[in-house]
Amino acid sequence: MMVYDAGRMTKLMLDPAIGTLIVLCLALLFAGAGSHKLRDLPQFSAIFAAYELLPQLARPQLAVLVPLLECLLACGLLVRRTRTPAVVAAMLLLLGYAAAIGINLRRGRSDLACGCGGFDARRVIAPWMLWRNVLLVAVLGLVLLPWSARALEWLDAVTVGCGTVTCGLVYLCLDRLLGQSARSSALRIS
Amino acid sequence: MTALAVSNIVLWLVVLGLLVVVLALTRQLGVLHERIAPVGALMLNRGLAVGEPAPVVEAADLQGRSVQIGAARTDGLSTLLLFVSPTCPVCESLLAVLKSSRRAEQSWLQIVLASDGDRATHQQFVRSHGLTDFPYVLSAPLGMSYQVSRLPFAALLDETGTLRARGLVNSREHLESLFEAKRLGVASLQEYFAARA
Repeated sequence: MMVYDAGRMTKLMLDPAIGTLIVLCLALLFAGAGSHKLRDLPQFSAIFAAYELLPQLARPQLAVLVPLLECLLACGLLVRRTRTPAVVAAMLLLLGYAAAIGINLRRGRSDLACGCGGFDARRVIAPWMLWRNVLLVAVLGLVLLPWSARALEWLDAVTVGCGTVTCGLVYLCLDRLLGQSARSSALRIS
Repeated sequence: MTALAVSNIVLWLVVLGLLVVVLALTRQLGVLHERIAPVGALMLNRGLAVGEPAPVVEAADLQGRSVQIGAARTDGLSTLLLFVSPTCPVCESLLAVLKSSRRAEQSWLQIVLASDGDRATHQQFVRSHGLTDFPYVLSAPLGMSYQVSRLPFAALLDETGTLRARGLVNSREHLESLFEAKRLGVASLQEYFAARA
């Protein structure tokens, strides 16, 4: 995955195929989340306000800005020139989401809808979402490493294409499984 | 195309195929989850709505003492009002569940048995089934105020005297569904699942 340069100064470098795969997956994630929120903006507005983190006045405007920012980040990740600032902004946004979820979990509001833009809009916030965001930030951090200069060939297209579909499907499966377990674990009844 | 490239492509195809299978399995798991979800107590459309204050009814217990049912309680306990009859076989099968629930939930709940009819018959019923630990009231107006048409019927009132859940209970699962409905703040488990379907 990483190229390890021989010599005294060891330098971690990212293979361009892996870099492209990560960037594509994260761009898809942000585009999906943003478009999902834009499709039902009133619902997202209500969820956003329910987080109770910002002054009352700023909430409606920011509720529109969040999905727009996500779509912008998706585009920014795909363009080479804007990639680095987009990655940094995406990392900050994910950490912001994690902080918002963490604060509300500490307030004991585990019945709050996540508003993550997944397939289940009523998914409630949970501690695993913090770890998910930390993992996504760590993966995004890899993109900031210098990319090795290896020329991409046709087999890399297979790797990137199939890898993106695979990551998407794994995300879909995890999303469903965690949603089901959250629904049934809320009940104490046997 | 080198052997490595061929094996790479074949492996990708296998991975993608397997993932489609996993996705289908997770979907199937969701269907199974819905099928085996706990069954809530049967809600009848008539009668008091959940969230309304329960009617305060003066009833007499088996010793003839007057007991007030439905009023706000000072001890902070909720009340499970269970309408039973000595001639109802399902009620009898539920008694063991009631005894264990009384012990398990005594920190927040008092179970009150309610019925109407001849006092001597009920006294015999209480003695033969070991129900002396339960408050047992006899009152026809109490049953009418909850519009009880079938037995065993349960109504869960919180400490303020507000109806939190109600329904026909035939099993432990039904009985516990009332406790869960109160804990989750929903009228019934059916409503809970419908909201999350």
